[in-house]
Amino acid sequence: MNKLKTVLGYTWGFLAIFIVLATFMGRAYFSRTLANATGVTVSPWYSGGEIAMTVDHGSYKTFVHRPVFDGLIWDRKNGFIQINWEPFSGLPPVVEERIDYNGDRQEDFLVKLDTTTGNASLVAYSPDVVSVENTYKLTKGWAVRVLLKKKP
Amino acid sequence: MVKSFLLAFPMMVLTFVMLSGGKMSDDPAKMFAFAITFLFVNILFFLMIRTGKTDKYRSILFISYAVCFIISFITHLIELRGSMAISEANMLDGRTPFCHIVIPMTLIPAALTKTIIFPGTIIGSFASIASMFVLWIGASLALGRGFCSWACFFGGLDDGFSRIFKKPLIKNINLKWTYLPYAVLFVVVVTAALTLSPTYCEWLCPYKTVTEFAEVTSVKILMQTIIFVSLFIALVIVLPLLTKRRTQCGLFCPFGAFQSFTNKVNAFEVRIDQEKCVKCKRCLQVCPTFSVDEGSIDEGKMRITCTKCGKCVDACPKKAIFFHVKCTPLNSTFDRYRVLFLYPAFLFLTTMAGGNIQDAIVKTIKLLTTGSMF
Repeated sequence: MNKLKTVLGYTWGFLAIFIVLATFMGRAYFSRTLANATGVTVSPWYSGGEIAMTVDHGSYKTFVHRPVFDGLIWDRKNGFIQINWEPFSGLPPVVEERIDYNGDRQEDFLVKLDTTTGNASLVAYSPDVVSVENTYKLTKGWAVRVLLKKKP
Repeated sequence: MVKSFLLAFPMMVLTFVMLSGGKMSDDPAKMFAFAITFLFVNILFFLMIRTGKTDKYRSILFISYAVCFIISFITHLIELRGSMAISEANMLDGRTPFCHIVIPMTLIPAALTKTIIFPGTIIGSFASIASMFVLWIGASLALGRGFCSWACFFGGLDDGFSRIFKKPLIKNINLKWTYLPYAVLFVVVVTAALTLSPTYCEWLCPYKTVTEFAEVTSVKILMQTIIFVSLFIALVIVLPLLTKRRTQCGLFCPFGAFQSFTNKVNAFEVRIDQEKCVKCKRCLQVCPTFSVDEGSIDEGKMRITCTKCGKCVDACPKKAIFFHVKCTPLNSTFDRYRVLFLYPAFLFLTTMAGGNIQDAIVKTIKLLTTGSMF
């Protein structure tokens, strides 16, 4: 029994070098496998959430993300919606767009963005739309986050 | 001498493959950096084998790694996004490199929401989330909490500062403080789950001082900045100087606390031969992470927090402390245990450190020849 334990112990110790080699040599493969197996994504509080709607304006596109209220177990009372306009090269000096973020065919807000300064303004048509949280100059284009309250 | 060379030779082959990535660069600066790094690590490994000293030569590579990581990382960030500061736009773009310290905070939210609470990318790009998870899993299976002394790119900083003075100015540290990292771990895991944000990174991480930090655009971010700079000065510089211990790693780091549990799932440990031990407590005095106490001397094994740095093994005057492979006979005369541990540990450290050391050398050559690191 002791001899078997010793053999197993040495084997375990010896395997460590192969674990290290596999870790580095197979890092790209294991990373992809881990990502696919778990299906995890970056939290929508950072990524803005999945794109729910795309509007093609010809020279540029509007990407409307899904509203983010995600909590650990239940949704939160306060959240946001992110709108992206891309690419920089196709954007007019001012973009102005009416958004129906929840798909009820009623416009919820009008957002206006100065694409040279990044200043944005908002006209809310719905009581759950609060204000512009911030505007962001990203790699491909501009993004605006609009703060929302969850409907009861 | 011949035996030492024969034992070191396989490491030369392995480090050649790992450092070169299977191909050699045509750039003379890169070739030079590769040659210097290859020689540097293999001389250290040969000396480890030849002299029987582990921590003495590990620490040289470990501290060099931390310094070169900072040079390489900061210049890389400045090239990538123009500044050490992360703007909110950088975060939305997923341009924040993921670090292993965030891992414990991400597990509960990932299990319940299938999302990672970090402004990075899952795969691809620079230090992606999945890639750092793979490194962590590999290091944990091979080394357990050896991660903290053989893989962590930050640990070398307080390790370095803890070696500057010859004698500690603060000697008596109550071992109750060693439970603080578990408290920090508990608090950051709970708050991260409740707020769905990596609270340690936002409020407490001292290493942001020398890597990256949020652009100061509000009073809240200013407060966060003051806290992490203060923690860096206190835990990474001042306390290691005064105590000759790795105070950030041993008394604060939540990842270190979390990583202690992985000491149970790998093959290596550090043991004390009760027959040889004369209870001089030298190990207790030198352990940088407070992983030896009276109880562990009596039991003949280190506390769960042991980072396998080998400092106690080097310091023991009776050679009663030794690296051990679990399930095998307890016999401190077996140097083969140590060699068996050194191979995965040193290879991990060399592979992690090698890219950063080479990059730092190349950047330094650029600075000297062109006046710019970019």
